[in-house]
Amino acid sequence: MTSSTKTAGAALTVSDFEKFRDYFYKRTGIQFTESKRYFVDKRIETCIRQAGYSGFASWFAALRLNDRSGLLQELINQLTVNETYFLREDYQFESLIRTVLPDVLAARGGVGRLNGPVKILSLPCSTGEEPYSIALRLLEEWDQIDHVDVEIHGADIDSDVLARAELASYNERSVHRVPPAWRKKYFTPVGVRYQLDEGIRDAVTLHQINVCDTVAMRGFRDFDVIFCRNVLIYFDELSSRRAAENLYGALRPGGYLFLGHSESMSRISPIFTPARLPEGIVYQRPIGGSR
Amino acid sequence: MGLVRRDQQPAAEKAAPSAASLVEQLDDPDPDVRREAALGLDGSAEAVPALIPRVAGETDPAVRDAMLTTLAAHDTDEVAEALAVHLASDEASLRTSAAEALATMPGSVPAIIPRLVQDPDHDVRVMTAMVLADLPHPGALTWLADMIRADPHPNVVTAAIDALLPSITPEHTELLRDAVHRFPDDPFLRFTVEAAVG
Amino acid sequence: MTEKRPKVLVVDDAATVRLYHTTLLTGAGFEVSEAANGLEAVEAALNTAFDLFVIDVNMPKMNGYTCVETLRSATVGTPAPIVMISTEDSRGDADRAYAAGANLYLVKPVDKDRLARVARMLTAGVAA
Repeated sequence: MTSSTKTAGAALTVSDFEKFRDYFYKRTGIQFTESKRYFVDKRIETCIRQAGYSGFASWFAALRLNDRSGLLQELINQLTVNETYFLREDYQFESLIRTVLPDVLAARGGVGRLNGPVKILSLPCSTGEEPYSIALRLLEEWDQIDHVDVEIHGADIDSDVLARAELASYNERSVHRVPPAWRKKYFTPVGVRYQLDEGIRDAVTLHQINVCDTVAMRGFRDFDVIFCRNVLIYFDELSSRRAAENLYGALRPGGYLFLGHSESMSRISPIFTPARLPEGIVYQRPIGGSR
Repeated sequence: MGLVRRDQQPAAEKAAPSAASLVEQLDDPDPDVRREAALGLDGSAEAVPALIPRVAGETDPAVRDAMLTTLAAHDTDEVAEALAVHLASDEASLRTSAAEALATMPGSVPAIIPRLVQDPDHDVRVMTAMVLADLPHPGALTWLADMIRADPHPNVVTAAIDALLPSITPEHTELLRDAVHRFPDDPFLRFTVEAAVG
Repeated sequence: MTEKRPKVLVVDDAATVRLYHTTLLTGAGFEVSEAANGLEAVEAALNTAFDLFVIDVNMPKMNGYTCVETLRSATVGTPAPIVMISTEDSRGDADRAYAAGANLYLVKPVDKDRLARVARMLTAGVAA
């Protein structure tokens, strides 16, 4: 054993790091490799200091035992990049256009034979960047968009972010990945900000919802695709299970669920079937009822 | 064609079905109806007596998980007692599902731990160690240490070591070494302890 | 050493058992990854082509039988050999393992020499 008398300012021991990594993985499904060691150490030290603990051992004990609420949330905030902007993690939108939507159309009988629109849900949608990004990519890049109806819904628990989504006025940081041609076509510069055009704004329906609220979630039905990225990691075990169950209920049999790139359903619930797409793993509600 | 807007609330405020009608749906032949009913009974205390006896008989694992998700949220003595019975089940998936649910009930489970760790069936004690592995409660590590120190069955001691593994500190070294001495014929236990304390 | 080491996935909910199997198989020349339940194993297998699976029977979230069935189904479709390890020494359980698609059914505790031998035998075509 190496020194266990490290102070909060010093680096974690190897065994501290391993214990922490196992715990954090078990709790959130997020895995850190050895290469992230420095990053993780720094963030943990920040958490320990801010929560007023003398060192790793006492802080980790309190975290593990849920002694103080907020410790885990703060840790997750520190360890996950929590920003949102247009076209973030957009390899999943590649999957949507190249693989998932063609499969959805085929499964529903083919173009021209759909009984109802293709429905896509972005939850949580935060300030709107995700559902609007989906709208932009479908309009610009999906060759079937003129042949099928698509409904895009955004939902979030936080009414403040929904109001900003409704407003759809973004700063440079939010739109930094939007190609210039799209910016020109769909945004109007207003001072230092970018106002998303009404046409796109109107194409997305916004809802306030708590994904853990089964009764409210009953209103969401027959979605073909749900993006639920980087939120289940915030929930405790029971809540994440319930959220997964509710998302399952909101999907059509055969419908697709995207989680954040570092998230996994494997520690939450077995009700979905994982599938490998060229761009990563996606989850499907099984077609023949449950499992 | 193209992007279309759907402005009416997507049936969101449609009257929620009553608890009584959901309880009725727990016996529906369609597993999806049963699963939705079990989930929909979240927070409904009057549904607990209806859910409890159906857990063991439910054949669809997804429906059973939904029932357990709803039941565990109650975290009451009644639910804890009822789920603990399944730790002795012959059916492995029911045992593990019940243990997973109990591990999310820190309000009511601690009261039954003293009895469970004394259960004459060593398989129940193994499952109890699995509950303690994930139970967010300050007493969990102490109970596990007690099991390692005193339980007469090597499988229980191994399960308790397994549960303690993520939290092992140098202070546990003696406790673990003693366990090895108590079961000199168990090479797996010896190996585990050597690997854990280095 | 430049030869290719066969990749094995050790699947067990017990951290001690994973540690035991991982140590044995690493010592026997395998590159070992771990998964703590059947679903994790399926996800790992979607990302990596393993040469061998060593899978426990009783696990939370997804048990060993369902895991093996899923690994053999179109979802994953792995042709790699699968060893199932159970605490139950019963004919019915072994039959169920073979029906799911396992190549070998062993009963715990597995003798360490035997596990290494079996693993080498089943991956004979892979190891250089």
